Amino acid sequence: MTAIEENWIFAENDLDEINPVTFQLITKMNQISHDPVVVILIEKNAANLEKVLSAYGPDKIITIKDDALATGDDLEITDALANLIEKKGTPNTLIFPATVAGRSIAPRLQARLQTGLTADCLDLHFEGNLLIQTKPSYGDNIMCEITIPECRPQMVTARPNVFSSEKKINPNLEIETVSNIQWKKDDQLQIKSRVLLAQKAKDIKQAKHVVAIGRGSKTAKDIEGAVSLAKKLNASLGVTRPLTDLDTFTIADQIGQSGQTIAPDLLINLGISGAVQYTSGISNAKIVVSINTDKNAQIFKHSDYFFVGNAQEFAKSLEAIL
Amino acid sequence: MKIVVGIKQVPETTNVKINEKTKNIDRRGLGGVINSYDLHALQAALAIRNQVGGEVITLSMGPDDFAVSLQETLALGADKAVLLSDRAFAGADTLATAYVLSEAIKKVGQVDLVLVGQQSVDADTGQVGPIIAEMLKVPQVTYADKIDAFKDHLVIDRKLENMEQTITAKLPILLTATDKANRPKYTNVVEIAKSFDKPIITWHAGDLDLDEKRVGQAGSPTIVRSISEPQKVAKKNHRLSNDPATAARELVDILKQKNILTEDK
Ligand SMILES: Cc1cc2nc3c(=O)[nH]c(=O)nc-3n(C[C@H](O)[C@H](O)[C@H](O)COP(=O)(O)OP(=O)(O)OC[C@H]3O[C@@H](n4cnc5c(N)ncnc54)[C@H](O)[C@@H]3O)c2cc1C
Ligand SMILES: Nc1ncnc2c1ncn2[C@@H]1O[C@H](COP(=O)(O)O)[C@@H](O)[C@H]1O
Repeated sequence: MTAIEENWIFAENDLDEINPVTFQLITKMNQISHDPVVVILIEKNAANLEKVLSAYGPDKIITIKDDALATGDDLEITDALANLIEKKGTPNTLIFPATVAGRSIAPRLQARLQTGLTADCLDLHFEGNLLIQTKPSYGDNIMCEITIPECRPQMVTARPNVFSSEKKINPNLEIETVSNIQWKKDDQLQIKSRVLLAQKAKDIKQAKHVVAIGRGSKTAKDIEGAVSLAKKLNASLGVTRPLTDLDTFTIADQIGQSGQTIAPDLLINLGISGAVQYTSGISNAKIVVSINTDKNAQIFKHSDYFFVGNAQEFAKSLEAIL
Repeated sequence: MKIVVGIKQVPETTNVKINEKTKNIDRRGLGGVINSYDLHALQAALAIRNQVGGEVITLSMGPDDFAVSLQETLALGADKAVLLSDRAFAGADTLATAYVLSEAIKKVGQVDLVLVGQQSVDADTGQVGPIIAEMLKVPQVTYADKIDAFKDHLVIDRKLENMEQTITAKLPILLTATDKANRPKYTNVVEIAKSFDKPIITWHAGDLDLDEKRVGQAGSPTIVRSISEPQKVAKKNHRLSNDPATAARELVDILKQKNILTEDK
């Protein structure tokens, strides 16, 4: 297969909306790449998501317009992407967001293309054509630098919210719609998808202010207090993993290694111990304030300001003077 | 239903450090345990077997001491276990690991369902499952939070960042299980003692139909150039006053000064 000196980004299209991690990946690749940055978009015929992607200044957008594929399963999307590469050539790199979808499609495609894939990268840079990939392992306790010297494309998934997105006008932007992409219909899966409306409104990944609660703040009354403080601060509410056992919270609300990486200007931790799986998700927060009854709590090491005492009392006092 | 469950043995803690001398991860004194997500995958498999009948086979590629973990899966209720152990498999990345596992699954034969964990807690990739699915040419459902089994199909709930899905899946299929899928049981000495009646079969490279260029280090496109401990940005660690009202006042003043809270609010 012919190699092409391009760097491709797979745009995550969640039910007709581009996941913002896509913009972050475009900005990052624009910063580090000498070769054209190309976004691959799968969308419904009637959609025009090229427009939102254009605002971040990629060099090219390749669109596959196909109603069935836009809601396709991992196998179908793998088929289509493999066919696109057959038609266009093998790009130097191929980047996916490290979301559920990206982390599921990328390894299938990797196996199809018999190349390397590095999961969940926190940093990327080039040495010539070689992509240097920084990946955490052991629950973010160890960082590895990984390369894929012999095979192409060099594939990675990159963690959301590690890179920032910046709008940029690219006067030379090219938009191409490819037709006749071949993929095989998978009759084995029947998928029903529902948008999680409630969560979208309070996405902690985008929030400038976040109030996070842990096991030290988990009664209905505690949660109510935290919600009301969050409202006053115009903040989103995040939780540690144990709280996702409650019906109120899901993985979308969970901060940390197996949840979301957040990057707010202000984070207030109420009753959180500071396990590394949690703190790995908050290392990009600017100001961290933590409240814990245990004066030796690990979370204090990761905090700019801390209060030793009852989280509910502190939250109430804080709310009162805001 | 014939079910294969992928089991990886991982260090008992992920809180590891780098050895200054060897520049490698210090595994001294670290025991091995079954990757926590794999226990959820196994539990799901056992529940499905109990619901619709069939057989649960656990499968692990790794050094001979991984047999301890496989023994534990037998004590937990698996019917038999297969260990894939060979010098040639060493140094495998996810592609080469999944290749050997998928060839072993082909050798087991007539497998309806492959279950693996959502990810391993040491490598943290979550890639092995989808790669196996691709190599077996079967569809996949990753990050399964809930699995209901029927005679010839499964119903699975999963969550993505901004949506949730309910999927009806015909067999054969590969699933990866989250830690929401169920509550794994614990085993005990009696069960472990009884489990010695069940077989652990070992297959070496020669027992499988393998292309030697695709196994171990030779079959691994990724190369680890270096490893390090993450640099942490030093935090201020300023302790606020002991009285909550005073402390809250202090904090608000600081946040206003830093323009994080605006004056008029
Ligand atoms: C592979 C893996 C992935 C994981 N991923 C994540 C992840 O993404 N996110 C995550 O959060 N966890 C994750 N975990 C779990 C993590 O290890 C911890 O168990 C979890 O973060 C602890 O949550 P917590 O701080 O709320 O609870 P605890 O550790 O129980 O801490 C509660 C804290 O509250 C304090 N407290 C109690 N009462 C009060 C009060 N009235 N006022 C003030 N303080 C009080 C206590 O002193 C204590 O420090 C993961 C674990 C594994 C193994
Ligand atoms: N060496 C192995 N032997 C058996 N199963 C494995 C092995 N490595 C990974 N797996 C399975 O694949 C899942 C994902 O692993 P990983 O891709 O390494 O994060 C694990 O939860 C296991 O179920």
